[in-house]
Amino acid sequence: MKNRTATGLAVLVLFGAWGMRVQAQPAAEFYKGKQVDLYIGYSTGGGYDIYARLLARHIGRHIPGNPTIVPRNMEGAGSLRLANWLYKVAPKDGTAFGTIGRGIPFDPLMGGKGAQFKASEFAWIGSANDEVSVCVSWGKTGIARFDELYKKVMIVGGTGATADTDLFPKVMNGVLGTKMRVITGYPGGNDITLAMQRGEVQGRCGWSWSSIKTNHPDWVKDGTLKLLVQLSLEKHPDMPNVPLIMDMVKTEEQRGVMRLLFARQVMGRPFLAPPGLPADRIALLRKAFMDTLNDKSFLAEADKLKLEITPVAGERVQELVAEIYRTPPDIVKRTIEALK
Amino acid sequence: MLDAALHALSMISEPHRLMFLSLGAFLGLILGILPGIGGVAGTAILIPFTFTMDPYTAFAFLLGLGSTTATGDPIPAVLFGMPGGAGSAATVLDGHPMAKRGEAGRALSACYMASLLGGVFGALLMAVSIPVLQPMVLAIGSPEMLALAVFGISMVAVLSGNTPLRGLAVGGLGLMLAMVGTDPQTGTARWTLDSLYLWEGLHLIPVVLGLFALPELCDLTITRTSIAAGAKVSVKGGMWEGAKDCFRHWWLVLRCSWIGAFFGAIPGIGGAIIDWLAYGHALRTERGAQQSFGTGDVRGVIASESANNAKEGGALVPTVAFGVPGSAGMAVLLGAFLVHGLVPGPDMLTKNLSITYSMVWSIALANIVGAGLCYLFSQQFALVATLRYTLILPSVLGIVYIGAFEVGRDWGDLFALLGFGALGWVMKQLKWPRPPLILGFVLGDMFERYLFISVERYGAEWLARPIVIALLALALFGLLRPLWQDVRAQGGVSGMLSNFGAPRLRPSQLFPAALIALFAFMLFESREWSYAARIVPQIVGSLALAFAALSLTNAALRRPAAPSAPGMAERAQAEVATKIHMDLVSDTAHLPRRTVLLRAGLFFGWFLAFMGSMAGIGLIPTVPIFVVAYMRLENREPWKLVMAQAIGLTLFIYVVFHRLLAVPWPETLLGTWFPALKFIPSL
Repeated sequence: MKNRTATGLAVLVLFGAWGMRVQAQPAAEFYKGKQVDLYIGYSTGGGYDIYARLLARHIGRHIPGNPTIVPRNMEGAGSLRLANWLYKVAPKDGTAFGTIGRGIPFDPLMGGKGAQFKASEFAWIGSANDEVSVCVSWGKTGIARFDELYKKVMIVGGTGATADTDLFPKVMNGVLGTKMRVITGYPGGNDITLAMQRGEVQGRCGWSWSSIKTNHPDWVKDGTLKLLVQLSLEKHPDMPNVPLIMDMVKTEEQRGVMRLLFARQVMGRPFLAPPGLPADRIALLRKAFMDTLNDKSFLAEADKLKLEITPVAGERVQELVAEIYRTPPDIVKRTIEALK
Repeated sequence: MLDAALHALSMISEPHRLMFLSLGAFLGLILGILPGIGGVAGTAILIPFTFTMDPYTAFAFLLGLGSTTATGDPIPAVLFGMPGGAGSAATVLDGHPMAKRGEAGRALSACYMASLLGGVFGALLMAVSIPVLQPMVLAIGSPEMLALAVFGISMVAVLSGNTPLRGLAVGGLGLMLAMVGTDPQTGTARWTLDSLYLWEGLHLIPVVLGLFALPELCDLTITRTSIAAGAKVSVKGGMWEGAKDCFRHWWLVLRCSWIGAFFGAIPGIGGAIIDWLAYGHALRTERGAQQSFGTGDVRGVIASESANNAKEGGALVPTVAFGVPGSAGMAVLLGAFLVHGLVPGPDMLTKNLSITYSMVWSIALANIVGAGLCYLFSQQFALVATLRYTLILPSVLGIVYIGAFEVGRDWGDLFALLGFGALGWVMKQLKWPRPPLILGFVLGDMFERYLFISVERYGAEWLARPIVIALLALALFGLLRPLWQDVRAQGGVSGMLSNFGAPRLRPSQLFPAALIALFAFMLFESREWSYAARIVPQIVGSLALAFAALSLTNAALRRPAAPSAPGMAERAQAEVATKIHMDLVSDTAHLPRRTVLLRAGLFFGWFLAFMGSMAGIGLIPTVPIFVVAYMRLENREPWKLVMAQAIGLTLFIYVVFHRLLAVPWPETLLGTWFPALKFIPSL
């Protein structure tokens, strides 16, 4: 009996040693015949899921050794669960990476509870989209320009206290002095649009431009919707004449707050790997990511799905996250206050 | 318009489109039978396969899948009391007692026929009303949604049967449970017990499976028989009878399918609510329903299933007309619209009208194909009710566990399943009605959301809107009438009070006492939340606490009614007026209490063992071990049957959950200690 246990242990040790050997391989050979899991912090069918599944269908071709990519949904707590899991539990050898909500990395900074990670330690692979959101008013309300928001009250719909639809108008009210009234609790963005149609709310603040473009292309042309302001760090090429929120600030403090809040837009559909990956493997994943996002058949499929693809390199995202975490504490405090 | 409808029909009848439609319908049925996987995941995974199809074919395929998941639902609901999807919880109430009586064939057949007719009627109603639907849906704002939620909650009164106080107390519990998680107004984490799992609230499927499926399976273990023990089973005759039932009650089918289609068309009213609305409607309007529903009345089955299948047709409308999906499945379908270059909106009703109609036809045809496929296999399904418990339980339990786990892919799902299983079993044994709990749970979120939006947006003016007034009046009437009847039946308030005597305490009163303690704890926890986060939970919680306390007092003080000696006519009248217990009843009364408790403990012990093994070696290796251990230890089943079931179930779970759905398995002890063994699935 004792003998058998010893043999068993020996076999396991051998297995372990074999595992170690595999880990030490150079990155290029590492992925041969491997399976890479792409974790999605939301359930099947949502926006992040569609982007991730599209990437999963193509990125395998661009990683040397052509591993199989398996998309796996691990939903919960608005993808905070996945962020924690990637940080603490996921294998740190490049066989697992994932996608989470763009605001999640900044949760710890903003005093959110439940986050158990340091965002700058993740290996950021890149973002599939540099998201530009907008504030819109329903044309019939007569509100057509951003300036009017300083004088008139505009009722905007929100989907919940921690959603963009609530955070964005609240910060603009708190920092710039606009007078938007947020009515929150709608189950989803579509419900706000419907409420706008029935005149229950007058506008929506924090609506992705690409989604307006695909779902309601006529509304902008015929004036059903008025675009008031763009919410991101830079303007979208489609809308040269719509003002950018960053141009509305008057002081450096205001600029800091806006930068803190809207930086997430640049990493609109972020992909990230656990901390502690070998440097060459991070480089390899980042390159594969960019190659995929420029791949013709990938772009053709994205076009079919009406997904906006504006690749942001992993290095850029990494730098941005680090930069945001260097925000002076008084500006962070000011932002948190504005959100209350 | 007629042109477009006919053109669409001819497009859909092309053989290759019909083939894809049938394939979709077949897949939908399989997904529908498994609890936890609805059409949503299926549709999302299949969308890439439709890239190369033309829109007619693509939607025939996707809608074929989406509209039949509800057709497959009643199979586990009738046979095991296990709702296959959120929409067939009400089917359990009458379908399962029928199976126990040996009428599984009739119940299933009635379900399919009701599904078929409901699906077709729902689609037809949509087809004729497409032009007028836009203004109608726009007329329903947040105040109307709130009034609808209140109206739905008022059905607690009929769903409580002869125990109104208990019903109100557990209805309150349901509402409170719906408010677990971060609240939409302030983001406060309410009753999340410091676990991320509860941030988004309790998932419906583990709750429903726990409340309804586990108690049935537990009682089956306790009685150690087959589902239809001692009953005469006639499958063939039953099938014919069930179909005839649907035609006999065609007016009910029609009404319930309209309820399904109408409420399905309103975005924000999920499938989990609709079957209860239809069931409650039947319970209120059908003759003698209050005496027979819940004991295996085929009308209960028909009501819930016809509405359940009609809702997809309804849900299509806002998706097409506004790009606002009427259900989760439709939200995914919206993505498919874009793939095929269709923009929801007025164009779909003018330029693309024939595509819109092709969708309506697809839904109608898929329902016919789905019901047809079900009829083909029903005989085998119905016979399952005659098998001894050790043959069916291992697979059914395995599927319940993994079905619950699949929902949030989290240990929390299994703990929720366990907790609600125990709660459901105790409620069933002690005759506390479970339907009000589910009703409160599915409506709680809607109630709170729209209450805030309505008050915030309109102040008190929201009460002045005509639809709101009508709905609230209906709700009030529905709540007060049964109450008044009860009071009158017992000789007024003074008559009721005269029945009270010195308090007597029984062990069964521990349950309301526990409820009171739970409410008190929840209220205590809520004391430091901000106003917007605590106001609704505190009002609901205080009311529920009061009802639970009243119920306890009532049970402790009331003497059994003194037998009077009335005349024949009065007695008959009293009998007719008596309402019954509005839920399934345990049939374990013939066994000594010790045996019942021991076997129930054993039943939940198996579940704990399953979870333990899953934590140790992973879910997939656990499945065959569980099947073998259960069948051998409980009843020494022959090895041939044991191995066949163990291998079959493991393979099935491996293919569906590991390969197809790519479930991310939780970490296991063995996998952490010996990472080299991770090539074993789920380890």
